[in-house]
Amino acid sequence: MRNKLYIQLLLLSVVIGAITFVIAFLLFDWLPKVASEQGEKIDDIYVFTVVICVVIFAIVAALSIYAVLKFRAKPGDMEDGKPIHGHTGIEIVWTLIPTILVTAIGIWSAIVVVQNDRLPDGHRIVQVEARQFAWGFSYPDAADGLQGMRMGELVVPVNEPLELHMNAPDVIHAFWVPEWRQKQDVVPGITTLYRITPTEVGVFPIVCTELCGLGHSVMRNQVRVLSQEDFDAWLTEKQNAVDNGGGALGETVFANLGCAACHALGAAGATGAVGPDLDSVLAGQRADEVRQSLVDPNAVITQGFSEGIMPSFGDVRADQLEPLIEFIIDSVEGSAS
Amino acid sequence: MSSHATEHDSHDVGHAPVPPRQRGILMRPGWVRAFLHAGLVFGLITAFVTGIRSATGLGPVWELDVLLTAWTVVVPLGFLNGMGLFSYWIYWVSGKPTLPDDHSGHGADSWKDYFKVNTDHKVIGVQYLITVFFFFVVGGLMAMFMRAELAEPGSQYIDSNAFNGFTSVHATLMIFLFVVPVFAGLGNYVIPLMLGATDMAFPRLNALSFWMLPIGGLIIVASFLLPGGAFSAGWTNYAPLATQQPDSNLMFQMGVQWAGASSIATALNFLVTIITMRAPGMTFWRMPLLVWANFTTSLLVVLATPFIAGSQFLLMFDRVLHTNFFEVAGGGYVVGYQHIFWFYSHPAVYIMLLPGFGIVSEVLSVFSRKPIFGYRLMALSLVAILFLGFSVWAHHMFVAGMAPWLRIPMMITTLLIAVPTGIKVFSWLATLWEGKIHFKTPMLWAVGFISMFVIGGLSGIMLGSVPVDQHASDTYFIVAHIHYVLYGGSVFTIFAGVYYWFPKMTGRMYNETLGKWHFWLTMISFNVTFFVQHYIGLQGMPRRVADYDPVWADWNMVSSIGSFVLGASTLIFLYNMAVSWRSGEPAPSNPWRALTIEWQVSSPPSKFNFDDIPQVVGGPYEYGVPGARHVVLNGARTTVEEPEPATVGSDTGSEH
Repeated sequence: MRNKLYIQLLLLSVVIGAITFVIAFLLFDWLPKVASEQGEKIDDIYVFTVVICVVIFAIVAALSIYAVLKFRAKPGDMEDGKPIHGHTGIEIVWTLIPTILVTAIGIWSAIVVVQNDRLPDGHRIVQVEARQFAWGFSYPDAADGLQGMRMGELVVPVNEPLELHMNAPDVIHAFWVPEWRQKQDVVPGITTLYRITPTEVGVFPIVCTELCGLGHSVMRNQVRVLSQEDFDAWLTEKQNAVDNGGGALGETVFANLGCAACHALGAAGATGAVGPDLDSVLAGQRADEVRQSLVDPNAVITQGFSEGIMPSFGDVRADQLEPLIEFIIDSVEGSAS
Repeated sequence: MSSHATEHDSHDVGHAPVPPRQRGILMRPGWVRAFLHAGLVFGLITAFVTGIRSATGLGPVWELDVLLTAWTVVVPLGFLNGMGLFSYWIYWVSGKPTLPDDHSGHGADSWKDYFKVNTDHKVIGVQYLITVFFFFVVGGLMAMFMRAELAEPGSQYIDSNAFNGFTSVHATLMIFLFVVPVFAGLGNYVIPLMLGATDMAFPRLNALSFWMLPIGGLIIVASFLLPGGAFSAGWTNYAPLATQQPDSNLMFQMGVQWAGASSIATALNFLVTIITMRAPGMTFWRMPLLVWANFTTSLLVVLATPFIAGSQFLLMFDRVLHTNFFEVAGGGYVVGYQHIFWFYSHPAVYIMLLPGFGIVSEVLSVFSRKPIFGYRLMALSLVAILFLGFSVWAHHMFVAGMAPWLRIPMMITTLLIAVPTGIKVFSWLATLWEGKIHFKTPMLWAVGFISMFVIGGLSGIMLGSVPVDQHASDTYFIVAHIHYVLYGGSVFTIFAGVYYWFPKMTGRMYNETLGKWHFWLTMISFNVTFFVQHYIGLQGMPRRVADYDPVWADWNMVSSIGSFVLGASTLIFLYNMAVSWRSGEPAPSNPWRALTIEWQVSSPPSKFNFDDIPQVVGGPYEYGVPGARHVVLNGARTTVEEPEPATVGSDTGSEH
């Protein structure tokens, strides 16, 4: 009798466990493909915890389904069940086994946390600035003219350890690249660190995951992971633009700041539709009006658009801001004529 | 001075009540005087604030944030005073003779009595339940708006300001105006009866606790009327976004104070009631598990709630008084807000779960016709959760930029709290084992709760691991997790409890068929709505967004369709409750053949619950034990020794 019960329960657990396992591992790719060293370690723990969860779920589901089917009172049966008050042995078992399982998860997780907090010496540092509602990146290790230049896109070489030094001037944001797994809040007043070693070349989304105001859902960007040669070429190209100066520099700054993500500007090939079309709204405007729109974007709001979405670019260095204004005015005039 | 009657001796003294002085409608406690006092206080404080500001030249005379703070503090006080909630205490303190309690504030004879100040725990319990289900519907409608907007990528119906407002107010209402207080409501009705007490320990404080609650709710909902729309920094209201927001953010900060004060006062009342008002023979180890659950929950509330009150006061000071607790420019510490906030808000998760655990224990035992498996360990695991619950708050902050070392110990405690929770789940399953299970509606919800809560608990273990949390935190995986814990967990237990005690509270049976439809529709649509959110979260969709990457469009559509069915299933519940209350079949005193004391008195119970002091003679769950009894009522004590059938009360309706 007893044995039959155990076999039935075991079979039921195995069937439920198998179904759950198929859903959890085979039917869907629950996680996006992993693209960093740290992410691979995180995925190992993810798999370990999910396996434990599948086993526990299968046991609990089997017990409850079995009980619900087997111990239903027949219609009209007014008897009471068997007065079982407890069983010390089994209570110790279901206290100890979960304790061991969660402790195992805890120890492994702690090891991974410590490992992922460490980077080999000689890693590259990138400054990240998160503000409502845009990301800015700069390279303190780069050559002179490029050092303080704010880029609107994160470009990094593959297989090189990176440490992002992150700051926010306004409210809390969070930096997350799903393919890299790691996530870190960007907090006003302190510098938070994000350590990563990308392992895959490609373009991956950067998502702000901490509610940061009206434009939170559009605060997205991307990271381009390049091979070492491509990365060096990219740096050289940026360096050349800085050396040439003038309107050509303005065009680079326009691209760096990520203006095209929200605005359309024919001369730059920009087609963003979140904010106003610059070719039409800036037609006939003077340099100080354009500067005001960059530095204090809420001063004048184009009809049909909301206040408080566009961040201020008042902190962009003057030797980059002025070429940008020059470039914008030239472009708008060019499209008008 | 000595003439004041205490609340209990007045029950016994057969005094001739002094005919109360007949006062005009403006002077008599009630709605008219309440609005009069509220209006008077509103005028006075407005004149005072603007007067001081213009006299001292302190910036603009009409400063909305200052006025809102003043209004949300004193106008409710005026209202409560007008309702007469302070009268007794004011008389007592000022040395005036207090009116002997003639119990005119006890019991409800018509529906109108539910709209008056009442000191009867049974009336207050019903008042709580009606109020919180009102806010449940309001908060649910907001969720419908959000899911409509999220059904397709892009912006269709509401802009991001309205969306963030709905997100924030939805969560705030569901937490502070529904799940936390609904257990105060159920507990109010049931706990004194379960203990064999005539009322709560402090009936006047009990009335005050209730009336503070809708005030908090109205302040929170009224934020929609202010310039800039409702507060929209989430229910977590993180600084400095909260301080950057329009003045409507104050409505969160102040609304929470009223709901929190209500919660603390009720918890104190429960604690004193449970400690001092147990019937003779009701030892701690004979208390039903719901009483244990309310006891531990009340300790959590009393110890933790002051921290959220503090966090919101500090935010208010930053905004109104220009302090710099969380302002970086003034030397503030942004992450400090989160530590204070979560020191309440994590225990709050257990405040929202433990009473539900208690309800499920009652329901499972009765409908399996079996004693609770491992009663003492069940009670002790509640106590373990109480202690561990205070040591895990920073697991909400693994990626927040707090001290890095803190992640490891907080992770270990977080994972360990799964152990007492697991003990409860396994003991519930063992309670079903070899039982005689009757699938009435409350039982469906209780078993449904176990299955849904297990899923929420397992995703909680995943999130407890720091590395997994680094990927999953602040995504839709979290949205899925909290809804499995708080909807599949708490709300399922609430439905179990409401159906279970509905016959006791109203004296009528609910419609069993509609109850089952409600359960199955909710069960299916709940899973359709929230299970897919695990997937889109892990894939990369952040939470609290009005718009998202179109690659997640299909799953969001599935989730939205599920949520509309989920909303519709709630209408079945409301219809069932409303119609059954009016014209349901009359309920016997004990339709479930339960042993706990509340089922041994009539449905609904008489004004003072018991004709005679009940005598507790055994445990509350002795189903199947020949001759065992939990309680002896009405002087039947002499018959204790004789072997009797275990069941007390009427058997009718159990197969109904």
